[in-house]
Amino acid sequence: MLWPPAGYDDRTSGLTAASYIATNAYMQLAMQASGDAEALNRTFFALADPTRRAILARLTLGEASVTELVAPFGLSQPTISRHLKVLAEAGLVERRREAQFRHCRLNAARLAEAWGWLGNYREFWERSFDRLDAYAKQLLEAEKAEKKEKTRERGQRKRG
Amino acid sequence: MNEVKGNVVEPESERELILTRVFDVPARILFLACSRPEHMRQWFGPKEYPLTLCEMDFRVGGKYRFAMTGPNGVQNTPFGGEYLAIEEDRKITFTNAFEEPGSETMVMTYTFEEAGGKTTLHMRTVFASIAMKKLYLSMGFEAGTNSALDQLVALVERLVSA
Repeated sequence: MLWPPAGYDDRTSGLTAASYIATNAYMQLAMQASGDAEALNRTFFALADPTRRAILARLTLGEASVTELVAPFGLSQPTISRHLKVLAEAGLVERRREAQFRHCRLNAARLAEAWGWLGNYREFWERSFDRLDAYAKQLLEAEKAEKKEKTRERGQRKRG
Repeated sequence: MNEVKGNVVEPESERELILTRVFDVPARILFLACSRPEHMRQWFGPKEYPLTLCEMDFRVGGKYRFAMTGPNGVQNTPFGGEYLAIEEDRKITFTNAFEEPGSETMVMTYTFEEAGGKTTLHMRTVFASIAMKKLYLSMGFEAGTNSALDQLVALVERLVSA
């Protein structure tokens, strides 16, 4: 299997630095909501590395042995194993041993969870606008009620 | 206003996001809701993350400072900025950044367009960089021609929408 493809390089495709994500307060906000900030933090850290993302991408095609993962990357087995360890600790990859081979499988649910928290800027505002919609109607009603009250008071003063 | 990053100027059009919503109220109501802390607290952010810090000096050159507290009771990193332009019932422009070293600043503009008792709100965000926009909008995995990575994106999107 041809992986990674010739010219593979997603270092320029965003999610560039682990530090950027780790210090991004917007992400913190999102992580808090997960109830397990530590775990999600590990997931983002794991996702921040292009080699690890490439490994995940390979695993979407199906389970692979460590040897199969090492072959296309031009990296040593210990290096790939280190990346796999990070991915496993983040819950993104499950490892199992069969005879003398180690097999790796994508934990798609974990990946989906992390993905859900990325890019929730739009979601944040959509939810705010939902609330603004309800609150603005209340403000309008309050304004109408106040006008009515003033008209009534004026009427009373005229009569009195 | 283009940000200079290294020697490369990233055009504003590639760093911006515009969200639009039509509200069934006059523009003055939306302007009011965006211009006073007691109103802001009622709608800003998801319900489970109320503004527990909300200071607004609502005038051009004035500053604001917000922070949200989530279900775990710990207040999040405060964020805020400065009001750059205010046109009553029409427009509010302000900067926005987290109070954290290295935090990038975005410039946000609310525009209110009233017609027939309804108001269209455009919320325009100009991110500091294309990378920041991608990160905030989950475009981080965008790879274009890389088919295997596209497959990862497709898989995750299926899972998320399921």
